[in-house]
Amino acid sequence: MTDTPAGVIVPVTRSVTLRQTVGYVIQRALDQLADGEPPQIHFVFIASWRADDPGSTADRKQADELLEQVTTWSQFELEAANADPDSVTIETAVIGDDDYRFSPTDYADLLTEYAETHNSSHVVIDPEYSLVGHTTLLEPFEFELQQRDLNVTEAPVDRSTRRGRLVDPGSPARFLTLFGGSFLFYQVLGGFSGLFDIVTGVATALIVAIALDDVSFYRDPTLTGSPKRLLRAVLYVPYLLYEIIVSNLVVARVILDPRADIDPRLTKIRVFVGSGFPLATLANSITLTPGTLTVKADDQELYVHSLVPFARDGLFDGALERWVRFVFYGREAARFPSPLDRGDTEVLQDPAAADPPESASAAAADGGVDRGVDTQEGDR
Amino acid sequence: MSVVDTTLIAGYTVGDGLVLAAALFVTLAVAMLYRAIMGPTNQDRVLAVNVLGTNTVVILALLGAALGEPWFLDIALVYALLNFLMSIAISKFTVERGGVI
Amino acid sequence: MIATARIGLIAVFVTLGLFFTFVSTAGVIRLPDVFSRAHTASQADTLGAGFTLAAVALTLGWQSATVKTVLLLVFIFVTNPTAAHAIARAAYEEGIEPWTTGDDRR
Repeated sequence: MTDTPAGVIVPVTRSVTLRQTVGYVIQRALDQLADGEPPQIHFVFIASWRADDPGSTADRKQADELLEQVTTWSQFELEAANADPDSVTIETAVIGDDDYRFSPTDYADLLTEYAETHNSSHVVIDPEYSLVGHTTLLEPFEFELQQRDLNVTEAPVDRSTRRGRLVDPGSPARFLTLFGGSFLFYQVLGGFSGLFDIVTGVATALIVAIALDDVSFYRDPTLTGSPKRLLRAVLYVPYLLYEIIVSNLVVARVILDPRADIDPRLTKIRVFVGSGFPLATLANSITLTPGTLTVKADDQELYVHSLVPFARDGLFDGALERWVRFVFYGREAARFPSPLDRGDTEVLQDPAAADPPESASAAAADGGVDRGVDTQEGDR
Repeated sequence: MSVVDTTLIAGYTVGDGLVLAAALFVTLAVAMLYRAIMGPTNQDRVLAVNVLGTNTVVILALLGAALGEPWFLDIALVYALLNFLMSIAISKFTVERGGVI
Repeated sequence: MIATARIGLIAVFVTLGLFFTFVSTAGVIRLPDVFSRAHTASQADTLGAGFTLAAVALTLGWQSATVKTVLLLVFIFVTNPTAAHAIARAAYEEGIEPWTTGDDRR
C-alpha cells in the first residue's frame, strides 16, 4: 500500500455540511501525516457552466470565493490542531468549464482525469454534495467513481445531514395524520351535516392520504413532539399578529406621510433554523410583516428586501428567528444571539457606493453608520 | 332578528353598511387596476392582480355576510386558492429557466 | 347592549380593513419599484383582509360558515407571503435591480 498516492480529492459545492467535511478531511490528512506520508488535499469545484458563457464570470467568481473559503477553513482547522500549516499541501481548482456536464458519468470522468494527473486515488465526498443541483444524483456518482478504481469515502458528519427527499416512503403515522386532517377539513367545509358528508368525506380523505402520503411531511408526526410544536405555534400566532400590526402602522405612516420617505435596501441575513419547513415558516413570517420581504432563500441565507430602517432593525434583531426556533425546537433553542450580534447581517445596497451590488463588504461597513443616522431620522 | 337587519342610522341596516364597504373595496380595486395595466414590469402586474384577487375574496366575504348568503364564502375560498396558483404559476413561467420554486 | 357593542366592533373592523387596504393601494400605485410595492401589497393581505374578515365573522355570528372565514384567513396568511416571495424572486432573477435612495428612476 505504500506506493498508493496520498492525494485526496474533495469535490465541493456550497452546502450545509461542507464545513464539517473540510474538518474531516483535515483530520484525515493529519492522521496520514502521523503515519509518515505527506498528505495532499485537492479541493475541486466542478463547473456546471462553460467558460465562454455569458455571465460565467459571475459563476467563476462564486466558485473562487467558495474555494477561498474552504482554504480558510482548512487553515483554521490546521491551526486548531496545532499543526504546521505547510505540512499539508492544499490545492484548489475549478475544473470542467470547457464543456457542459450532464450525467454523473460525465462528472466521474472529469474527476478521474483530474485524479490521474494529480496522482491521487482517494475521493472524499460531502454527503450534501449536489451534482447538477441534485443531491439525488450523489449515489450514482459515487458508484461511477468506485467503478473507476478510486477509493470513495463519504465524510461522516455529525448531524443528520440528508435533507428528507421530496418523496419519502410513507408511514402509518403520516397516513393517519393526513387522513384525519383532510377529513376534518372536509367536514368543516361541509358544515358537519350528516351521514352523506361523512361517507364522501372518508372517501375523499382516503384518496388524499393515499396520493400524498409520501410527499406531505418532512418527518413523521409523533404523539409527543407534534402536539407540543402545534401548541407553541399557537403561542407564536399572537406575537406574529402583534409584529404585523406594528409594522403595518409604520409602513402606513411612511406611505401616507409625504415627508417620510422610504429607504429600501436589499439585505442578506444568515439564519439558523434548519432547512425545510422551519425555514419556510421563517421566510413567510418575514414576508408577512410589511416592511420586510424575503426575495430569495438560498440554503440558510435569506436575501431580505427591507423598506424602512425600523423594519431592518427589527429583522437584524432576530425576534422572528428566535420565535421560529422556539416553535420548532423548544424553549432552550430560543436563547440565541441575534443575527446582528452574530455578525450574520449584511446590507447589500448602499447609495454612497457607486455601484451597490459590487461592493458588498463596503456597503456593510457603511450601512452600519447609515443605520444610526436613519434611526435618528425615524425618531424625530 | 339577525345583526345584518339591525337598523344602523336613518333606516339603513348593518347589511347596507357592509354593501357600502364592499363598494368601497371595489373602488380601491379599480384604482389598483392602474398598476395591473401600466406595469411597468410583468412582476408588477402579477403583484397587482394578486392584491386584486385578495380584494375580490374580501368583497365576496362581505357580500356573503351582507346578503345572508354564507355559501359565498366557499366561492371566496376557491378564489383564494386560484389566486395563489395564478401568482405561483406566472412567477414560475416568466422567469427564463423556471428557477422559482 | 351586547348587540350594540357587536355592531360597533363590526363598524370599527370594517373601517380598519378599508383603511389598510387603502394604504396598500396607495402604496402599490405610489412606490417606485416592484420590491417596495410587494411590501405594501402584503398590508392588504394581512390587516386589510384580516380586519374585514373578522368583521364578516362577527356579522355571521355563531354558525358553521364562521369557521370558513377563519379558514379563509389562515389560508390567506399562508399563501400570500408565498406568492409575494415567488413574485419578488421572479423579479430578482429577471435582473430587476431593487430601487434605493439616490437612484433617479422613480
